[in-house]
Amino acid sequence: MNKQELTAMVAEILGQMGLPEPMVKGSDYKPSNPGPEPKDNGFREGDFVPDVTALDLRKLYLQENAADKEGFARLKMKTPARLGSGRAGPRYKTLTMLRFRADHAAAQDAVFSQVAEDFAEKNGLIPLKTRCKDKEEYLTRPDLGRVLDEDSEKKLKSAVSSAPRVQIVVGDGLSSAAIGANAMDCMAAIKDGLKVRGIDTGKAVFIRYCRVGAGDAVGDVTGCELVCVLVGERPGLVTDKSMSAYITYKPHTGVSESARTVVSNIHAQGTPAVEAGAHIAELIETILRKKVSGVELHLEGAK
Amino acid sequence: MAERLCSVGLDVGTTSTQLVVSELTVENQASSFAVPQLQITGRQLRHQSEVYLTPLIGTGLVDGTGIREIVEKEYHRAGISPADVDTGAVIITGETSRRENARQVLDALSAFAGEFVVATAGPHLESVLAAKGAGATDFSEKTGKKVLHMDIGGGTSNLALVENGNVMSTACLNVGGRLVKFDEQDQITYVSPVLKELCKLNVGETASPDVLRPVAKVLVEALEMAAGLREVTPLLEQLSTREAGDAPEPPESAVVVSFSGGVADCIETVRDWREFGDLGPILGEEIGKSRLCRGEYRLGDHTIRATVIGAGCHSVRLSGSTVFCRNASLPLKNLPVAQVTSREQELAPEELAQLVEKRLSQQDTDSVLALPGFSSPEYDRVVALAEGLSRGFGGRPVYVALEQDMAKALGQAMALRLPKDTSFVCMDSLKLQQGSYLDIGEPVGPALPVVIKTLVLSANG
Repeated sequence: MNKQELTAMVAEILGQMGLPEPMVKGSDYKPSNPGPEPKDNGFREGDFVPDVTALDLRKLYLQENAADKEGFARLKMKTPARLGSGRAGPRYKTLTMLRFRADHAAAQDAVFSQVAEDFAEKNGLIPLKTRCKDKEEYLTRPDLGRVLDEDSEKKLKSAVSSAPRVQIVVGDGLSSAAIGANAMDCMAAIKDGLKVRGIDTGKAVFIRYCRVGAGDAVGDVTGCELVCVLVGERPGLVTDKSMSAYITYKPHTGVSESARTVVSNIHAQGTPAVEAGAHIAELIETILRKKVSGVELHLEGAK
Repeated sequence: MAERLCSVGLDVGTTSTQLVVSELTVENQASSFAVPQLQITGRQLRHQSEVYLTPLIGTGLVDGTGIREIVEKEYHRAGISPADVDTGAVIITGETSRRENARQVLDALSAFAGEFVVATAGPHLESVLAAKGAGATDFSEKTGKKVLHMDIGGGTSNLALVENGNVMSTACLNVGGRLVKFDEQDQITYVSPVLKELCKLNVGETASPDVLRPVAKVLVEALEMAAGLREVTPLLEQLSTREAGDAPEPPESAVVVSFSGGVADCIETVRDWREFGDLGPILGEEIGKSRLCRGEYRLGDHTIRATVIGAGCHSVRLSGSTVFCRNASLPLKNLPVAQVTSREQELAPEELAQLVEKRLSQQDTDSVLALPGFSSPEYDRVVALAEGLSRGFGGRPVYVALEQDMAKALGQAMALRLPKDTSFVCMDSLKLQQGSYLDIGEPVGPALPVVIKTLVLSANG
């Protein structure tokens, strides 16, 4: 068998296997909320190796022979940074290394995994898509992630009879895990908050392969007065589930980025999704009243 | 953008009355891309009054008019008017902390009310304020050391055990500088009844260091016991004040002892034993020689003014910055706390409503319902809680305080279920205990300033 034949055979086998399925789907990706409470050493009932991702980094102090262990531990409770990890010769300890790789993997998975196929349907959202074909194109062509594809544009046009005041958009962005964990709870709180204040919202939409700018395209089609885009943030090593809300008054393609009001860091360890939603509802009311968003709103507030 | 609050503290004690004016700085600590997080970032003393003798009518009854004159005079000196005052606390301490006195002071200061918060301090609040005013809590937070703070005043010593900046427990002992008084001819004019079984001093006898020192030694022994530095004898129980409940529990491990109160000024500085016509200088000297000062100890940043500074600078705290507030006429004062436990808040809406109704009907005034809440809950959970709570209040004004950050979400969900004109406040980041009382001030930015009190006038008291 020569090299060419070998390559062909490998290609054939891969073809038979089909495209690799993502290990985890975005919406059911829950690495840091896994069943029964692990004990302090990371072991759960029935485990034979500890789950390194279950350990609370703020409590993990690995430095040996510390001069003031309690003092360092106290400071460490204030930050999720990987401090006081000790060393094995010139290298990380095994636990530090494993945890770093696990968190890094979770962050990558959050980017590359998909929000579940039935996410929009299950939650009563209008399912839309940008012009990106797949995740790879989404990552390499930010411009396409800001424009709705033709089908979606039509679908949205026919679904909207009159221009809503407030249009809520849920978009996968760079973390499907963030959307699965936060979007619907946050949206429910926004909707109730707006209801209390007598503000109508149109039917919410879900956009696959969504950049923040896709909300502007939705504005073009629906003619809404304000768009609120709930989008997955670029994941980091602290959490892969952080979501942001970008609120734009009078959204339209080409609107300046400075016109966006942002509420970021929405996740269980940051601002809880429901509380952020309630805050966003109040913010929306303010923006509608003052008829500006983004930097202008800040300047308005400073007056 | 910092907001500034003018805060006044007034301490009406057994012997002395003092007032401080301070400026609190409130700032949003979150980035402009996140949900706001207001915090008190600065506390600066603007004005300290002289130490006045507490104006009394007869024995033990505070002269309200006298108090008002002091406040008027000191406002004038500080260059402020009642309208400038955003918040503050009056605390009435020691033997004067009787209900009729609190009422007197309250009435006398009604013209100064504004945002003024009037609190009758029990020994617990007093101990907490003294520990904060003397900087013992800051010291503990910075160093991580366990601190036992002792505010040794005229009639009593207020003790507070502090760990990592938090007051863990408090106690009060009948140990103070003015338990024995004498005149310029050294003739003893007063011996406190609490010393009856502890010494042979009598009114009319001649005071001298030799006769006073044994009394001071006994009192210091009680302090040593409270600090875990001497084996506990019935003496500790004997000198514990009644209203503070049990005798102090000595700390299990070594602590840094911290001092404030008038007597603290006599620990390191040698004073003439006659200077104040009381036991103070000798008591201070004996403390300096005792086991209390053999290990690490510190004198407070403020000594005689620790409690009033605590009242002026540390009595107010802020709720979380996402709250829900509608139709409530703030400030609200003296709301008793009714509690729902973490287990009870999980009940189904109907059962929860019944429980809440029962808890609230046990109080004879409007009260605040305190519950732990849930950490980052699902919205369904919020709705279920809103359902149960709003039914449970049944037409009463609705005041809710949660520990977990979820008040705005719960508040708006409840608002959808309550009549539109209900007086309604829902706030979080507050841990309240059954038996305490809450004052809520007017909003500072998006947050609400609150004062948590452990002992207070009842509304009809």
